[in-house]
Amino acid sequence: MKRRSKLLAIAILSGLFLNSCSSDDDAINEPEKEQPEGNYTNGFFVLNEGSFGNNNSTVTYVSNDFSTNEIEIFLKANDESLGDTGQSITFDDDYAYIIANASNLINVVNRYTFELVGQIDSGLVSPRYAVVENDKMYVTNQGSYEDSEATAFDDFVAVINLETLEVEKTIETNTLLEYIHEENGMIYVQNAAFGSGNGITVIDSTIDEIIDTIETEDNLISFEIEDGVLYALSSAILEKIDLITGEVISEIVIEQGSASNLQIEDGMIYYTIGTKVYRLGLNDETAPEAPVLEYSSNSTYGGMYGFEVEGDYIYTAEAPTFTENGTIRIYDLNGDLTTEFDSGGIGPNGFYFND
Amino acid sequence: MKKTQFYILFLSLLCSMTAFAQNDTVKVLDEVFLTDTKLKDFSTGQQVTVLNDSVLKKNGALLTSALNFNTNIYFKENGLGMVSSPSFRGTTASQTAVLWNGININSQFNGQTDFNTLNVGGYDNVSVRGGGGSVVYGTGAIGGTVHLNTNLDFSGKTKQDIFLQYGSYNTVDARYKVKTSEKKWRLSIAAARNSSDNDYEWPIGNRENENGQFYNNNLDLGLAYRLNKKNTLKFYSQFFDGERHFSLIRSSETKTKYTNLNTRNLLEWVIEFGDFISVSRFAHLNENYRYYASIVSEDNSFGKAKTIIGKYDLKYAASKTLEFNGVLTNTYTDGSGSGIEENTRNIFSSALLMKHRPFQKFQYELGIRKEITDNYKSPLLFSAGTNYDFTEFYSLKMNISRNFRIPTYNDLYWAGAGNLDLRPETSNQIEIGNHFKYKDFKLSLTGYYIQIDDMIRWLPSVGGLWRPRNEEKVETSGLEVLANWRKQIFPNHQMGVSGTYAYTVSKNSNTGYQLIYVPFHKATGAFTYGFKNLSIDYQLLYNGEVFTRSDNNSQYNMAAYVVSNLGFSYDFGRKNSYKIGTRVLNIFNEEYQSVENRWMPGRNFNIYLNLNF
Repeated sequence: MKRRSKLLAIAILSGLFLNSCSSDDDAINEPEKEQPEGNYTNGFFVLNEGSFGNNNSTVTYVSNDFSTNEIEIFLKANDESLGDTGQSITFDDDYAYIIANASNLINVVNRYTFELVGQIDSGLVSPRYAVVENDKMYVTNQGSYEDSEATAFDDFVAVINLETLEVEKTIETNTLLEYIHEENGMIYVQNAAFGSGNGITVIDSTIDEIIDTIETEDNLISFEIEDGVLYALSSAILEKIDLITGEVISEIVIEQGSASNLQIEDGMIYYTIGTKVYRLGLNDETAPEAPVLEYSSNSTYGGMYGFEVEGDYIYTAEAPTFTENGTIRIYDLNGDLTTEFDSGGIGPNGFYFND
Repeated sequence: MKKTQFYILFLSLLCSMTAFAQNDTVKVLDEVFLTDTKLKDFSTGQQVTVLNDSVLKKNGALLTSALNFNTNIYFKENGLGMVSSPSFRGTTASQTAVLWNGININSQFNGQTDFNTLNVGGYDNVSVRGGGGSVVYGTGAIGGTVHLNTNLDFSGKTKQDIFLQYGSYNTVDARYKVKTSEKKWRLSIAAARNSSDNDYEWPIGNRENENGQFYNNNLDLGLAYRLNKKNTLKFYSQFFDGERHFSLIRSSETKTKYTNLNTRNLLEWVIEFGDFISVSRFAHLNENYRYYASIVSEDNSFGKAKTIIGKYDLKYAASKTLEFNGVLTNTYTDGSGSGIEENTRNIFSSALLMKHRPFQKFQYELGIRKEITDNYKSPLLFSAGTNYDFTEFYSLKMNISRNFRIPTYNDLYWAGAGNLDLRPETSNQIEIGNHFKYKDFKLSLTGYYIQIDDMIRWLPSVGGLWRPRNEEKVETSGLEVLANWRKQIFPNHQMGVSGTYAYTVSKNSNTGYQLIYVPFHKATGAFTYGFKNLSIDYQLLYNGEVFTRSDNNSQYNMAAYVVSNLGFSYDFGRKNSYKIGTRVLNIFNEEYQSVENRWMPGRNFNIYLNLNF
């Protein structure tokens, strides 16, 4: 208990020195600034969620040139596990917020040293993804997992004051919730999870209230926002929707179905089907026929458990059985394998670029 | 389908008919009061270990602990009292069958028995038999079988047994038994209650085991009534009501709990005529569980299954040395739950067994079984066993069998994920046992080999959905050692030593890796010493290092551990039928866990009082 309040005090103190500039997109190049200090300044993190119920989620650090690879960096820096079922990491200023889904916990660490500076450990129920805006963090929470035929949902968005690390408000949508993005002060929340549900709820971050719902196709998988357009991927259709009017601009049918992992990077759209990666231009009107790359794996189960396109590389994570470490494979944009290595933990599910 | 059913029925009838022709022995009458006679009659080539009442009182009320300290079965326990799954001879949790008075009680939903949902106070003895047993006991009897028995084989006046134990973490273990008989009937009633705050300190992080409290209530009844020389009625009933909170790893986690409400009823009608014993059985099993994903809400997910079993068993003693036995069983299950629509399934099975002792030193038995159901393709199961007594101090046992584990309700019917095309897991297995006996010393060395095909595993498929598939093959081989020595050394001095050791190699045939949570080595030991009214006993459990990763990455191995318990007791009262005692559990304060990040308690204590009158 004592330890926790101490951490909280540190967190509050450090909160005082936060400058309120929030970087909301990795792609934005910040003006020249002093190189931060720490071991993890020039690379990316792989989040391994671990096996559910065993409190063994870990983070692996990999340098941008892929030459160094350090496992279990949270454990090393803080001498304890980051929690059960690490779900996602959100960066803001000098901090990384690591969500541990089954622990109802967000660890706040210095993103360059991974030293713990605070924890959000109450007010969360199955937290999933987060964005930061106006010094507040918006976290989707799934509550208890309703079955697919449920009509009432206990999912909510928790609004966290980043100075106190307390949940200040909860916003209920009575829908399923999953991914969350921010654009021009608006918070967009996906009303669908695990392949069921549809629609995007819009929350105004100045008043923290729901102001709109954008309709999408059923079985919404994930969405992205780029230049005023919302790209919504359901398993067999990619919709482009005008962010302001909510009108559907166009639809691309993906005949094979089972598409997931929508990404937009450098003017290109990426998605995956099984262990294949597909790419098309922002203005293309049909789905590509041939994949950019495909991998076959020794384990029969494969799967793109984590997927990210960043700069000149395509990052894939395979989580073979959830009883052994995963495999990271990194390809260039031509689909040629650049490197492959052990993910350093069970169930790698995401890549987070620390720049 | 229908045709086969008729054919098997006809075959079994035919066999009994031919056997009808011969006729010549006299029955020992009291045998009719025995329970699960199949265990006694048809275990040729296998070894049965019996844990009697006094052994069952040395460990806690939950069955995991008694079996862990006294048998070769390895247990994976999510913290004390939490979900506990066995690995018997390197097999999976659904490959150990649990029989209650001869009736298979593994869950219809996951095919397993959670050994922390059974209170030993309800039984008179627990028997453990290693190796295959599906011909007699049906699904899941691959690694071995665990038999929970109510004993009605007694006579004389009314006997009562009160056992009260109180220990660390506010743990209460109360058991009461009464057995009474008249010439024509026997009655046995057992009631037990076990509860604990279970808030032990963790060896790390200055933490307590949070939200681990549990309780269970158990009521058992056994009644036998001898109508006349030929007819006997028996009735067994069990009621179990338990609630467990599932302990947290961190305080911020959502608190959950789990309740079980199980009732089991079995009616038997035994008819003895000439050289025949006919047993008609009717059983009704009710299985209910509820899982509360958050204890602050009444919302829960549940499963409930009702199983009705009709069984006809006809035994014929063709001579003093030759016995035939036909068993027809119909099992009807009606189950539903959250995520499982109501489904019924019917399984008809027919089994034929024979046992023959052609000469004094040699005995063999044979058995076959076939099931008929729309649910899965049923393999022909068989077993063959021999015992050969070379000399008084050495005998050789051998058993070979094919067994299975059928797909469960979850495997078949789970909404959106269940797979109706699953085949049963099947095993082919062989074991050879060397048994030595010299005066008060007994030793057995058993080697075995099991090949299991079509292992059902839940794995992520397209779209991240987890579905069951017949995926893997496993090869298991190992060596088991059981030893026992008991002696009165001087007048008033009693001494007993027993031990078990298991070496287990259980490999996924596709990858060549050892299965996770199967230790290469497990050993147990027990030592008792009594002098006049005083006695001391020591128990030891060693579990070797286990892999927790299926690629056998040893970086994540769970360390080996040794846990010891020490007990003292004093007998008093007229005829020394009262006992008072104390026990120190985990006396060396070993820091251990059997599942990753699920710590078990350190040194803890209890005191008990046992009254027999």
